[in-house]
Order: sequence, then structure tokens, then C-alpha cells
Amino acid sequence: MTAHSPDPIVCRPACADDVADVVRAARSKGQALEVAGNGTRRGLGNPVAAAVRLELGGLGHVHFYEPDDLVIRVDAGVPLAEVERMLAGRGQYLPFEPPCHAALYGGAPARATIGGAIATGLSGPRRFQVGAARDFVLGVDGVNGQGEAFSAGGRTMKNVTGYDLSKLLCGSFGTMAVLTSLTLKVLPAPETERTMLFPSAGLAQDIAALAAILSRPLAVTGAAVVPEGEGMTMAVRLEGSAPGVAEHAGRLDGAGLPAGRVLAAAESRAFWSRVRELDVLGAGTDDLLWRIHVPATGAAGLAAALRRVGLVSSLMLDWGGALMFCAMPAAVSGGLDGAVPHLRALAANAGGRAILLRAPDPIRAAHGAFPAQAPGVRALAARTRRVFDPAGILNPGRTDFLEAAC
Amino acid sequence: MRMPDPDQGIIARRGELAARLRAIVGAQWVLDDEAERRPYRCDGITAYQATPLLVVLPASTAEIQAVLAVCREQGVKIVPRGSGTSLSGGALPLEDGVLLVTSRLCAIVAMDVENRVARVQCGVPNIRISEAARPLGLCYMPDPSSQMISTIGGNVAENSGGVHCLKYGMTSNHVVGLEAVLMSGEVIRLGGGFQGAADGELDLIGLLTGSEGLLAVVTEITVRLVPLPEAARVMSMGFASVEDACRCVGAIIGAGIIPAGLEFMDRKVLNAVASLLREEHDPRTAALLLCELDGTAAEIDALIERVRGLAEQAGAIDIRASRTEEERERIWRSRKLAFSAIGKMCKDYYCTDGTIPRNRLPDILDRMAELSRTYGLDYANCFHAGDGNLHPIIMYDAARPGDLDKAEAFGADVLRACVDMGGVLSGEHGVGVEKRDLMTHQFAPADLRQQQVLKCAFDPEELLNPGKVFPSPCRCAEFGRMHVRGGEMRFPDIPRF
Repeated sequence: MTAHSPDPIVCRPACADDVADVVRAARSKGQALEVAGNGTRRGLGNPVAAAVRLELGGLGHVHFYEPDDLVIRVDAGVPLAEVERMLAGRGQYLPFEPPCHAALYGGAPARATIGGAIATGLSGPRRFQVGAARDFVLGVDGVNGQGEAFSAGGRTMKNVTGYDLSKLLCGSFGTMAVLTSLTLKVLPAPETERTMLFPSAGLAQDIAALAAILSRPLAVTGAAVVPEGEGMTMAVRLEGSAPGVAEHAGRLDGAGLPAGRVLAAAESRAFWSRVRELDVLGAGTDDLLWRIHVPATGAAGLAAALRRVGLVSSLMLDWGGALMFCAMPAAVSGGLDGAVPHLRALAANAGGRAILLRAPDPIRAAHGAFPAQAPGVRALAARTRRVFDPAGILNPGRTDFLEAAC
Repeated sequence: MRMPDPDQGIIARRGELAARLRAIVGAQWVLDDEAERRPYRCDGITAYQATPLLVVLPASTAEIQAVLAVCREQGVKIVPRGSGTSLSGGALPLEDGVLLVTSRLCAIVAMDVENRVARVQCGVPNIRISEAARPLGLCYMPDPSSQMISTIGGNVAENSGGVHCLKYGMTSNHVVGLEAVLMSGEVIRLGGGFQGAADGELDLIGLLTGSEGLLAVVTEITVRLVPLPEAARVMSMGFASVEDACRCVGAIIGAGIIPAGLEFMDRKVLNAVASLLREEHDPRTAALLLCELDGTAAEIDALIERVRGLAEQAGAIDIRASRTEEERERIWRSRKLAFSAIGKMCKDYYCTDGTIPRNRLPDILDRMAELSRTYGLDYANCFHAGDGNLHPIIMYDAARPGDLDKAEAFGADVLRACVDMGGVLSGEHGVGVEKRDLMTHQFAPADLRQQQVLKCAFDPEELLNPGKVFPSPCRCAEFGRMHVRGGEMRFPDIPRF
């Protein structure tokens, strides 16, 4: 549904040297570049107005994969699915469970790149237990806004040599540098998984129950409350060795919860894939989608407020309540120009920050995909970007916080 | 190791500056008398010393703000310091700089059990967070061996690790919110009181963590708490050769087991510890691995059997597993006492911090043996094997002329070898002044410049902790001019400290 600005000229280099040439040329002409992988998730972040789109999808080299050393280095254009397949072949995985989300924007999931996963810095359901995307980026190679290639970080599990540019660039949406290759920490995949589903007792009670579960040393790697039929279902995923999962499941049974339904490994995998990709929301293709980071303690109140004022047609919680997704009908009463800031204000009241994951270009352009920041932090972030990209030619405006939103 | 030349004009204004700062923090919290300043001459590396211009002990973020504003106005440099346990000289004072000591900011602001976070001031010792979390069944996982003394602010500055970071990650993996004061005197608040609070923003928390006090003074930190592991057992595995022990490390990780800790000690360390603990090891033992496994009792039992099998295959000659908490503590004691035990064996020692890809362990150990012969200095090895983080202990006698230089050269050669094998200069101690001049061995000029330009966004006058981490200043004024010249940005004739 997302309407893009007229398609720019696409530039698709086949090696990192050519990427630097493209940026240098743009820099000398003062020309803006839209930076993308294969462009499957261009609707994420603010729309970028640029005459040239620099696509990294042509960079497809796997530099090395050393399973015994838990490390892989790939070009930014390698499809995420291919990385995951390669790791699965050796019983390993990307623990932060990156959401693909390409389908939300009408893109082909198989074409979504690892570079896009790191540049957007999104992390999936397992994050609250194992860490976010940024926690698994050991090193990056990139090209800054001057067209200069550089390397940062390394390939070892521990590294505190100099500033951690890998973390800074992860989630920077291509606004500081064009990522050309990534070195990632991988881990052995758990032997098995199991999910227990419990009927919701109301969001506040569910969140309290999840908080109690997450305060115990259990191998819980998923803690969500999702719509099911007319109601909601609380889902708890356990991962680990077969005897470990069985033991932990037994303890959950004794946690004072009503009897739950059990999803065995294959079903459990399918279930969490639908949670990660937001299929469980059941949103219409025209609905706006929100990703709201909120303290779990404020989530139930926020959900109640959103439902009361009729801003959302469906919502779900992940990370034990610290992450909320919701769908807002495009035809929301009062119109989107009122509803978007209204939702943001309610989220802010709950101590949260609401990100527009999907919305028509004009809405994101008018209201910003990202919520307002304190002026000091916004200015510091802008200065930080400027030292990497002094002329502001890389994805200009992609992550800007509009004055109007403040 | 050269530091920037002290500015005599600023040293001459010591009294005047002390008066300005006393007006902010109170008379007794500015130390200007030499006898009071002298104890602050060094941090955990005693080989590098300098008496600070003044020592200032503020009590709040507002006071730090005011102190930084005065220093900026006066063009005076600042060196932040927690408890001064840095092993890289990160808190080495400057003779013309104010040493900003954070020990009075030592309050635990909030323990939030529902969101499983703790909000603490920067001067709180690491261990106090876990002590406060324990009654809630939670803990703060990163446990650098200095944790009894080192502050959480210092841990954030250095991105500290510890024995458990193999499984649980470094400091940066546990920070969800920061409050920091910029050199401009401005206070910024990043992230917040829950995991994910900073998601979707530029990761300035990730940048500040491990920035060694060069970018901002971190004043308040919100960290993630995790449930206390239900149980833990440690295995002690002796090997007749260092190679066998290294092979066992690879086999454990390769089998998909991530222990809570996986430590290596060589025979010299064992001998040194044995004299303190009267702990007997098989006389054939050349290297010992300690492997901690945590989880539920049943899981641990299963893992111990798997690790035992792998160790046997790798040729272990002696395998023990703790059965009680007392036994576990006794086995760990040898590792915890290792450095002080070595300290009793030799006059002085120097320990460094290179990290290599795990599968190059045998190569780096060979190289160390070779270097020991070249320099004629003895050494011992005690390190975090699971993540390839080495801590070679080089023994020397500071009273013997030339010995310190030889020890430093030996250490530097080990670090260069780490980089040449695909590793890095520092796994957890930081660069500080100790490894500063080796940065050009790891990073090409363009890579170093890309890090250094960040100074222009945070501290363009380069007043915060100058002379640390990078072998040359950033020269932000130059950077500004270079924008105008477009693509021709170069740094000819870089001045070296």
C-alpha cells in the first residue's frame, strides 16, 4: 500500500570499491543517495527523496563462516534467509531473531538482506533474553559520506579496542555510512523448543504473570500476548536441551497458571515466526502499523487507552510487555493527521516511544516515522551523523525527527 | 609512552581554579595540596604516574555539570576516574588536568523488579548492584575481577568483561539507559528504564560504552538485571600439554556448549597458587581448564557428562567436578588468587589483554614462548580461554635497569601477534595509554580517523581525557576546514604525542 516517491535511478555496484566510487561521485556533485539493500523494506523510516538509489544487493560474497569460532562475515547484500540457511546447516543461528518484515511493505522476503537487518537494527521476540541485533555485530566495513572506505570492530567475541562503531552503525538506517560487509557473532541453536499457550487473564494480569516468570531462572525466550479469535492468548516459549525444556515446562505448570496448550517444536517455530512477522496481528494491508517500546509496567494502561479511544483495531505484546505492536485503520475516525500524534502522546504518557513501522509516505513525511527526542539528544545525534556524512547525502531525512513532532 | 606536554600556564593557575571549583563542590572536596593529590598519581597500572593538577570530588550530576563548564571556560582538561582500577591507564592523571573522581555519586537510585532494571549512580561499585538485586532473586551479570572495587561508571567507560561474559556478555550488553554530561556542560539522557528504551534511535549508548571517558562523563546508568542462575558447578580439567587443553576449548565450543566461564591456567600459575592454597595437581599437568556450567541441576548434570567426554577425547589426565557450593568456591579460588600468587613469585609483573580468534590459541601460545626466550623474561598464562581473551603475565624486576622496557616490548609484541592472527589489542581492559601507540598496528589511518572524528561531535576542544586511546589528537578544527575541501580530506604530518 505504501506509495513511494517516483522511482530513482538505481545504482547496483558489485564490489565495495565501486560503492566508494558511487558515494564519492555523489559527494562531489552534492547529490543525495537513497541507500538500500534490495529495497524490500523502503517503507521503514521516513521517505527519502533522492535521485539515485544505491543498492547493496549486488554485494553477495560470504567472506568466511567459522562455526567452531561462532563467527561469520558476509557482504551486506547477502539475503538474510541465505545467512540463516547457512547457519542452520551447522546447527547455529542468529540469536536476535531478526524480523524480515519485507512482506509488510510488499517486498519479497527472500530478497531482504542481512545488511538491511543490521542497518535497521530490528530484533525479534528472543531479544529480551539474548540481546539485540547490535549485541551480535562484531565488526563492519563501510563507506562514509565522503566516499571513504573504513573498517571497524573485529571478529573476536571480546573487543574493546577503540570506539564501538559497529554498535553505532547498527540501526543507523544508512544515514552515517553505507555498510558493505558485516562480521556477526552466531551461537549454537537450541536443540529444541516448546511453547505453552495460556488464555489471557487480561493484559495487566498477563504482564504480571510474565514478569514473575521472567524473574525466575527459566529458559524462557519468548513472552508474548497475541490476539487469537475474539480474545487474547499468552504465549511462553522455552528453548534448550530436550530434558531442560521438559524440566522448565514442568516448573511453569506449577506457576499457578491455568492449564496451557502446548505447541511442540515445529508448531512452536511456526507460531513465533507469525509473532515475529506480525501475522498474528491480522492487520489489513492498508492499516498503519506501530512498534511501541514501552515499560512493561505501562503497557496494559496504554493498551486500554488505545482501545478506549478507538485508535487501534488490534494489538499484541512481546518481550514480556516491553514491546507493543498495533494496527491502526487507515480510515480511523477523526483522520490520520489527528490519530497519529494522539497515539504518540498516549504512548509517551505511558513512558513509551511509538515508531511508525508502516504508513503511507505522506503520513511518515508529515509526522515522522520516529517519535520526538529531547532536543539535546537530537542535536547530539545530528552532530554524530555529520562527522560521518558532513554533507548529509546518505539517506537524508530517513531518521529525522521533525520539528512538528516535538 | 609520551603524554601531551603539560601547559605551564594552567599549572600556574592551580590556586585560582581550586577556588572556582570549591565554590561548586565545597571546600573539602577539592584537593590541591600535593600530599593529598599524590595518592591519585596512577590507576591499576602503577608503571605510569602523574600527579593531577587538582582532584575534584563532586556529589551530583549538577555539580559535575558546573565543574565541566568551568573547565571548558578555562580550557582545562578533565580526566574522569571511578575507583582507579583501570589496567590500561585510562584514569592516568594529567599534570595540567583536573581529576574528576566520581566516588561520591554512589547511590542506588532505584531497583525496579517489574522491569528488571537497576538505576544507579556512576560511583556505585559493581558488586553492590548484585548485592542489592540478590534478595529479589536477580543479579547484574558482568563481573570483572575488580568488581569489589571498580565502579559501574568505570565499567561503562571501559566496557568491562569478566569471567561470565562468555555466556552473558560484556557491560554494553546490559546497559539500557545512561545519563551523561557533555563537555559543554549539557546533560543528556539516553534510553531509559526498560530494555528496548533506546531502540530506533542512534545507538549513542553503544558508542559511549567503552569510549574510555573521551566523549562524555557518564553520571547515571540503568542496567538490566537477570534471574540468578539456579545452580552452577565448575569442572577442573588437567592436561599434560597446552595443546591438548586448547583442543578441548575448541571441542567444547564446537559442540555447541557455551559454558558460563571457561578459564585457562598454565603450570606456572598452578605452582604459584599451589603454594598459597596447598592444592595438589597431578605432576604431569601442564595446563588446567576451569569450566563453569549453570542452569538447572538436571541440565548441569547432563552438560558435565558431555564436557567430561570431550575432555577425555582431548586427552585430559585429571577431571573433577564440584558437587557442593564449597567445592565450587574452592576450585575457583585458584583462579581468583592467580594474579596475587604470581605477584608473590616475582618482583613485578605486567599483564596485558590481547584477544584472538579462539582457534589460534596454540599459535599465540607458541609465539609467547618464543618471545620469552628472545627477551629473557619469564611469563605465565592465565586467561579467558572461551573467548580467546589472553592475559599473559610478564615477570620483571623494576629495580633492574631496562627490565620494564623489555617487559613492555614483550607485551607489545604479544599484542602485535594477536592482531596479526586476526585478533585485537584489547578484549576487556581498554586501550588507555598502555596500548595507545599500538593502535596504528590494528587500524589503518582511515579506520582510526573514522573513530577519532567522533570527538568533534562530543568534545571538539578535546578537553576530555586527552592523550588516551589514540596516538594523535583529532584536531577537530582541521576537520571543519576539510569539509570545505570536499573529498580531499587528509591528515598530513600528524603530530604524535
